[in-house]
Amino acid sequence: MPTITIDGTEYEVPEGRMVLQAIDDLGLLMNGVDIPHYCWHPKLSIDGSCRLCQVEIEGMPKLQIACNTPVANGMKIHTRNERVLAARRGVMELLLINHPLDCPICDQAGECKLQDYAFQWGVPESRTREPRRPAKKAVDLGPTIVFDQERCILCRRCVRFCREVPKTGELGVFNRGDESLLEVFPGSELDNPYSMNVADICPVGALTTRDFRFKIRVWFLDDVKSVCNQCSRGCNLVASRSNNKVYRFVPRRNDAVNETWMCDHGRMSYKLNGQGRVEAPRVDGREVTFTDAVKRAAELLRATLDARGKIVGIASPFASNADLAAFRDLLARLGAGNARFSVPRGEADDVLIEAEKAPNAAGCRALGMTESNDSIGRADLALVLGHTLTAEVFGDVGNIVLVDSHESALSARAAVVLPARTFLEKTGAFTNSRGLVQKFSAVVEPEFEAWSEADTLAQVAAAAGVS
Amino acid sequence: MIVEPYVRNYLSEHYGDDAYRTLAGYEAKGGFAGLKKAVALAPEQVVELVKASGLRGRGGAGFATGLKWSFMPRTSDRMKVIVINGDESEPGSFKDRLIMERGPFAVLEGILIGAWAMGAQRSYIYVRGEYAEAIRALRSAVAELYKKKLLGKNILGKKGFEHDVVVHGGAGAYICGEETGLLESLEGKKGQPRKKPPFPAQHGAFGLPTTVNNIETFAHVPFIVERGVEWFKGRGTEKSPGTTLFGVSGHVERPGLFELPLGTPLREVIGHAGGVRGGRRLKGVMPGGLSMQILPPTELDVPMAEEFLSQRGTHLGTGGVMVMDESVCMVRVATVVSYFFRDESCGQCTQCREGTAWVHKLCQRIEQGRGTEADLALLTDVPKLMEGQTICAFADAAAWPIQGLLRHFRSDFEAHLSERKCPFPESFEL
Repeated sequence: MPTITIDGTEYEVPEGRMVLQAIDDLGLLMNGVDIPHYCWHPKLSIDGSCRLCQVEIEGMPKLQIACNTPVANGMKIHTRNERVLAARRGVMELLLINHPLDCPICDQAGECKLQDYAFQWGVPESRTREPRRPAKKAVDLGPTIVFDQERCILCRRCVRFCREVPKTGELGVFNRGDESLLEVFPGSELDNPYSMNVADICPVGALTTRDFRFKIRVWFLDDVKSVCNQCSRGCNLVASRSNNKVYRFVPRRNDAVNETWMCDHGRMSYKLNGQGRVEAPRVDGREVTFTDAVKRAAELLRATLDARGKIVGIASPFASNADLAAFRDLLARLGAGNARFSVPRGEADDVLIEAEKAPNAAGCRALGMTESNDSIGRADLALVLGHTLTAEVFGDVGNIVLVDSHESALSARAAVVLPARTFLEKTGAFTNSRGLVQKFSAVVEPEFEAWSEADTLAQVAAAAGVS
Repeated sequence: MIVEPYVRNYLSEHYGDDAYRTLAGYEAKGGFAGLKKAVALAPEQVVELVKASGLRGRGGAGFATGLKWSFMPRTSDRMKVIVINGDESEPGSFKDRLIMERGPFAVLEGILIGAWAMGAQRSYIYVRGEYAEAIRALRSAVAELYKKKLLGKNILGKKGFEHDVVVHGGAGAYICGEETGLLESLEGKKGQPRKKPPFPAQHGAFGLPTTVNNIETFAHVPFIVERGVEWFKGRGTEKSPGTTLFGVSGHVERPGLFELPLGTPLREVIGHAGGVRGGRRLKGVMPGGLSMQILPPTELDVPMAEEFLSQRGTHLGTGGVMVMDESVCMVRVATVVSYFFRDESCGQCTQCREGTAWVHKLCQRIEQGRGTEADLALLTDVPKLMEGQTICAFADAAAWPIQGLLRHFRSDFEAHLSERKCPFPESFEL
């Protein structure tokens, strides 16, 4: 492995990489080794046009862009000497001569790389007297993205993203020189299953999502690590919250799972947390207290056990590993055999979206549960997590005790319904389609009484005397 | 309309002769003797011969041609390609046009020698779209060569020596004359220079190993091979052998092309063009196209070769000599030059996209008598932000002429500031 020296410190870096990539591979980019950059992105092709990542390399007369200079053994790189800083100031000054100073009303403020780098490496005063280049404001590029053309610094990350990831190529830079403008190709719009990623990679406030735009200032948000539950890929994400409310999902980099992307469907699924929830426990359709619902569930369970009736367990691929394990253990104590489960399926693509539309089918399988959509047949009591099976499958089941977060046809038919927490309301783990166990943390608290499936099952078991 | 150079040498000797544009006429003047000599040598020997000749590229950068040829991978499992740059987009330059129109076979013979030397199976001649006559001349010459089996398979009976030539008409942008901007354009994409690495020798036209040379460069090659390295080195300077077609334009009595040895003093080059028009005084000369720094009259004795011009802070470029007489307002020159580069910047790199426009706006304001000391200070500083920091040399080409004008004619700029108007009533209009 080649050794390079950056500002006097030696690093062993992988072979055959560009300087910036190699620093990123070591996890040091903007995290110990500060080389600011705009056009370069770890998961897109190299563009080399913003020129901000220029560094001095001993033996090379000109400054070199770190993003497109191959590493060589013994290379000595300077990232913060006066020559490099001067070039950086130059790029920042030139980028700002046409950028509007509208940070106070720009939704990117607070997470804007132009703002950050201008403070860190720019010049405090503007030397230009020229009027700024006029361009379009608040243009809809498609159903998800709003474009502020005058803020665009033409790094072309979004152009490369659309060409290279969803391979839809809706965007291009038109005209040339200082008349260059980012646009969608005539007659098309930015509309693909991954379109909202362009807002993440846009370093400035040019591309924002219609959904999040102007909802809240980002400095009021704090970010909690989580995992998407909309398919078995399990894209890593951060959920941004404020005042016990989730405002958005943003993909979190994991090269083994989702690189730095997530699909629009998954991104928008944060809204599901607040929609159609089972908010109150019910017994035979009547709202009761949580204690009374637990008591009724325990009575039904005790009665079925005492009558040596048949008990079946239906698990959910939306449940966490801990909840599934607790369920399996309870069923074993009840002598009911392991649970079965069902996975909703849909379309897949060769980017991220997988056919299994649930996050933890692999977790169910790992716990020995079997997948089935068949009729349950005759049973006296079904203990059910979630509602991935249709109500008809339960035709010959006597009583249903359902622990679920969302209303469904099944919750309307169940004898006892106990509200459950969603994955955003608890800490746990899902096992994705590649067998990777991925942790998620509680982001918000439910605004009504609800517990995880494991906690609820434990309360029912205790009340039924089968702990 | 230029039909032939006023001063001829080996390259343009027969440009007045229409028959020279036919294969028979070309062969009658000794054409294809160079290629026949070349194929009797091993390809590596031909590369060495061109290296030894000291031929420097005539496209503007003056890079050693033989060295460039040696960058082409010797063996390759992919087709190797030669691209010939006939975009000639540098203002003040009009030599390649004549070479293509009047001497297309010498260019093609040079290409075939290069193809033999580098093992290239295909050539693309990228010709400026406006050069309709050059495109016609080349296409007709290519058709004749195919008919006479000098293109295609087993050329000159050499088994395995095959070569195809495609003449491609460009669609018009200055930046398509830049080596890799040209490759993008050739591939049907927007003309924008490519970052390096990868270099064209590894990943050029259509991703194939590629060598890009200027039209005139190839036109010299048959003469070098046929007449020998010593003959070639007998003209021009030690470091810049051979002749070139100087294109002299502007305020001279007889603008046109003059084939003269490299190293000919600038005064003599202008003298061939009849000197400054109407007996007026000379104010400045751009020696190598619009993107090179201007020279003041005190530098008229400079030999026109890169090694001498670079000592004076400028370059030979394409040998397009632009002469300006005493009527000229150098702030207007700066305004025109900066307008051109603002308009032609491809817009990829920050410094070039933003810098060219800023420089033009500053020039405009000073020219209109609205400038301040701060503007003049910026006009000095902004080109420094652009120079040497971008994907291609365009930003340098935009910065250098402004820097040259400020170095030698700062008083013109200062006069605009103090008089609040242009003090040159007889200057050309914007």
